Amino acid sequence: MEYAIEGFQLEKFFVKKRSLRELATKPFGKAERIEALRGIDLHVKRGEIFGLLGPNGAGKTTLVKILSCLVLPDRGRAVVGGQDVRHENKVKPLIGLVNSDERSFYWRLSGRDNLRFFARLYDVPGPRIAARIKELLERVDLVEAADRRFSDYSSGMKQRLAVARALLHDPPILLMDEPTRSLDPASSLALRAFIRDELKGRDGKTILLATHNLREAEVLCDRLAILVKGTVRQVGSVAEVRRWGIDERRFRLEVSNWHDAISGPFHAVSVERINGLKRVIVELEGDGRLNDVLSAVMVAGGIVHACDRIEPDLEEAFARLLREERAKDDA
Amino acid sequence: MRRVLIKLWAFFYRDVLSDVSYRFSFLLSVGGMLFLVTGLSFFSRIVNPATPGLDGMEPFPWMLIGLGFQFYFSTALYSFAEKVRGEQMMGTLEAMLVSPTPTSLVIFSSTAYDFTWGAFRLIVYLSAAVFVYGVKLHVVSPLALFLGIALTLLSSAGIGLISASFILYFKRGDPVNLFLSGGTFFFGNVFIPSKVLPPAAQWISAWFPMAWSMKVVRGALLQGASLQDVAGELGRLAVLTLVLVPLGLWGSRIAIRRAKREGTLIQY
Repeated sequence: MEYAIEGFQLEKFFVKKRSLRELATKPFGKAERIEALRGIDLHVKRGEIFGLLGPNGAGKTTLVKILSCLVLPDRGRAVVGGQDVRHENKVKPLIGLVNSDERSFYWRLSGRDNLRFFARLYDVPGPRIAARIKELLERVDLVEAADRRFSDYSSGMKQRLAVARALLHDPPILLMDEPTRSLDPASSLALRAFIRDELKGRDGKTILLATHNLREAEVLCDRLAILVKGTVRQVGSVAEVRRWGIDERRFRLEVSNWHDAISGPFHAVSVERINGLKRVIVELEGDGRLNDVLSAVMVAGGIVHACDRIEPDLEEAFARLLREERAKDDA
Repeated sequence: MRRVLIKLWAFFYRDVLSDVSYRFSFLLSVGGMLFLVTGLSFFSRIVNPATPGLDGMEPFPWMLIGLGFQFYFSTALYSFAEKVRGEQMMGTLEAMLVSPTPTSLVIFSSTAYDFTWGAFRLIVYLSAAVFVYGVKLHVVSPLALFLGIALTLLSSAGIGLISASFILYFKRGDPVNLFLSGGTFFFGNVFIPSKVLPPAAQWISAWFPMAWSMKVVRGALLQGASLQDVAGELGRLAVLTLVLVPLGLWGSRIAIRRAKREGTLIQY
């Protein structure tokens, strides 16, 4: 398997700036180090959308900046498109960066003029610039606004222009750092659809998506890594990450004649009345099986109208992981 | 080379569009140039033409050429740092540094418009002086003038790059320009003839590169100085260029590397 992005034991720390008080009281004291990344291993396959999921301060942005040659790692190695990030002149033509910063354009210039400027920086051949910009403006649905000043754009339009800029030189790899952070729900949905259908589906780009939006990760990513305090805690497909650490098994039943006396190797987590039936969520215990639940209900005179397995969601897995982290810290 | 020119044009065109979009400011700055020349022509009338240091030149062209060239040369001193800081604050530096354009070329090219605008301003000053106020230029050696301007710009660019390195690394606080901005006006023989300064200040002035440049451009434009007449100053400027340009490039490389290591390249 050939990987588009790889990280091997990546480490990065930042020195915390000392306050004037500290400088005055301990002039020769050592500055505090903040560990942003601690031994990150990462393998992103070609053509996949790989999510970096984590709370604020987890190290997602630092990792994206290392991969986009803006920050140097202290230890370890990062390889993008087969090139070490220390050879930035070989890596940069292979990547496009989309972040959530609206300020990364010239506000007095039109969208088209902004793209024209960056096209020259991205080494798009002169005769191809106009056609490429036209094509991209059409793809991100900004044709009508192309000659309006960037300052007049809405947040959604600004973000779409940022995507167009990242695509100017048609890089095989896109690094996206919270691309929908400042967008309203409708714009977020549209951008997600564009990422999934156009960038991955049509163009076959490899996309590294840093986000703390669980829904976004769930909808977009083929695989994801959960980052907490600079370390990768879990890597896998969305389904794998969802089930991570879960040993309980839960089912949702719609039952008539449910009562508290129904018992077996399970317990009811919740019971609610819906349309004359009871919706019961049961959790199996020990070696209990779904059959045990169904038999117990039927023996007690109940009728099972519907039954399905409850899939754990990503939010739950993520919350569980953070709870464990907190417990570790407390310990 | 073609690639460099394309980038230079891109930065130049970007700044033209941006500057012209502020129409009032643009018109004001053009009007300001004419106002300065007019103001200077009246101000120079209160200056005694026999003032030591004018070396027989009329006060008006002496002052105008001093100020005009000082503005132009200061572009090389200040614009690198100003542009870096401006792009950091606007948030556009990151987008540029992610592109395949080398960082040094980004810094260098971002001043293309400033240099062109500085040259335009100088031409406006000189044209107004010649065509409106009847100043007579006496150029014997265009080569001496060209070398004087080129070497001053290059050596100043060396200092400008060192200055930009401080901004890249420390974000604010640039000791190089702090020293030069005050010092040049006082010691640089720009507006105050060095010979009217106290002896100690005259000694400092003799070591000030701007004073050498002023001697070359005034000599070449107003006194018909030949290449030999200003060879000493040109030699000193050439040595300075040979030292400062590599030092500036080295400094900026170190600053970029350190800022990347500390993750502060795009912070301000």
